Amino acid sequence: MGRRVFITGLGLIAPHGEDPASIFDRIYQGDSAVRLVRSGTADFGSDLPLATVDFTPKDRISKKQQLFMARASQMAVVAAEGALQSSGLLGEGQSIEDGEIGVYMGCGLGGAEILQEGYRTYFVRQSRRGRPSTVPMIMASGPASHISMRFGLHGPTHTYSIACASSTVAIGEAFRAIRDGYLDTALSGGAEAMLNDGSIAAWERLGVLASSHMDGPERSSRPFDLERTGLVLGEGAVLLVLEAESALRERGVDPIAEIIGYGVSSDAFSLTEPHAAGQEAAMRSAITDADIEREEVQYVNAHATGTPSGDPIEIEAIKNVFEDHASNLAVSSTKSVHGHLVGASGALEAAITAIALQKGRIPPTANLTHPDPCCDLDCVPGYGREAPELTVAVSNSFAFGGSNATLVLRKV
Amino acid sequence: MSAYSYLAKVLVDKYDVDEDKIRPEATLTDLGLDSLMVVEFLFDVEDEFNIEVPDDRAEFETLAEAATLIDELIEVKGD
Repeated sequence: MGRRVFITGLGLIAPHGEDPASIFDRIYQGDSAVRLVRSGTADFGSDLPLATVDFTPKDRISKKQQLFMARASQMAVVAAEGALQSSGLLGEGQSIEDGEIGVYMGCGLGGAEILQEGYRTYFVRQSRRGRPSTVPMIMASGPASHISMRFGLHGPTHTYSIACASSTVAIGEAFRAIRDGYLDTALSGGAEAMLNDGSIAAWERLGVLASSHMDGPERSSRPFDLERTGLVLGEGAVLLVLEAESALRERGVDPIAEIIGYGVSSDAFSLTEPHAAGQEAAMRSAITDADIEREEVQYVNAHATGTPSGDPIEIEAIKNVFEDHASNLAVSSTKSVHGHLVGASGALEAAITAIALQKGRIPPTANLTHPDPCCDLDCVPGYGREAPELTVAVSNSFAFGGSNATLVLRKV
Repeated sequence: MSAYSYLAKVLVDKYDVDEDKIRPEATLTDLGLDSLMVVEFLFDVEDEFNIEVPDDRAEFETLAEAATLIDELIEVKGD
């Protein structure tokens, strides 16, 4: 057993806003942040349900810094500031005293909109004169680097680009580094901002995006529901402050929740199709890592994106891992209201799971009105549920490419 | 707009440079621009005046020297 690791701060730039408590309240009520958004031009575009973030860097990042930061990086530094402030590590108008803090980030496409602009210059304007700063702005590692530079954090600054599992792996690796004594404190999470015209068009061609639901676009993300048509893309940045027990005791702060286990696996199977065996391996590994009995797990924040192929496989994997205990579990997909933030999704869901443990409240799967018979576990339809005894929860992220990651969190 | 006034305007508007600090003898480093920012800054200038600053001419130190170089390139282009 290594050192205990706690979440002591949260910073969110999310489809539901920025205040963690009110974001959780809205999610708990099944209040969707999904809207119908026009992308592309009038004659060459598309209306899709998306979970965009109402974010502007104005007055939060200097104009000079903004010039060199893609949207994902801009959201990441503002979320990081919120996380550091909420943990008490960064006071108003102060700077970080102990710079030996690690930055462990997840990000899928980096500065996707900057790459799009570069290609527009080359292919549409037929010019080789793209912006000189295009390369450093499109790097997936941009958000982590900007956080490190902005706050003077000199610990390891790592980016995990593992599609939908990116930020769950980032948090898991930060957890391990702290548990094993390599560092005391880390900022960890994810950032993603790929809702530009070119990226959206590419996603549409993959055939996995949800169409607008007849009851309204905000009802389009429908994990476990027979009327689901696919996933709803989102964007945002979510940062957690992770600290070793010794560090937070020294500072005298109250943690939000404890991370007790992390497991990963690879399907070695398909670029896009999920595989129950791989998902089971990640969950089993995380539960073993947490040194708990599987019967102690009460809530699973599922990866479930709302695709007809993905949701039943995850339910099958959960049943295989938990066996008789599966029917006692609450299993919900909060993607039903905040969409799929890809590289930032695992971090948002870990944050929601941490708050769920802190408040003793299980968030629901919204829009679950016609349950798929294949998804016959307690999927907490519609509205959240009071659960004062909630102690141990699991958060799953399963990526394109077959990388699976699971975190286990415990109430403090 | 003269090259010097344009340089000054871009530095204030896009690079948060304090207007009081803009003087002919100030260098871009003095004004808080790192090497990537200088390259990006020159890119703006080139686009504005439809000129190209040759690599071997981009070794100016001060704002006044930069403005002289750009005025010269504009004049050459006009010929």
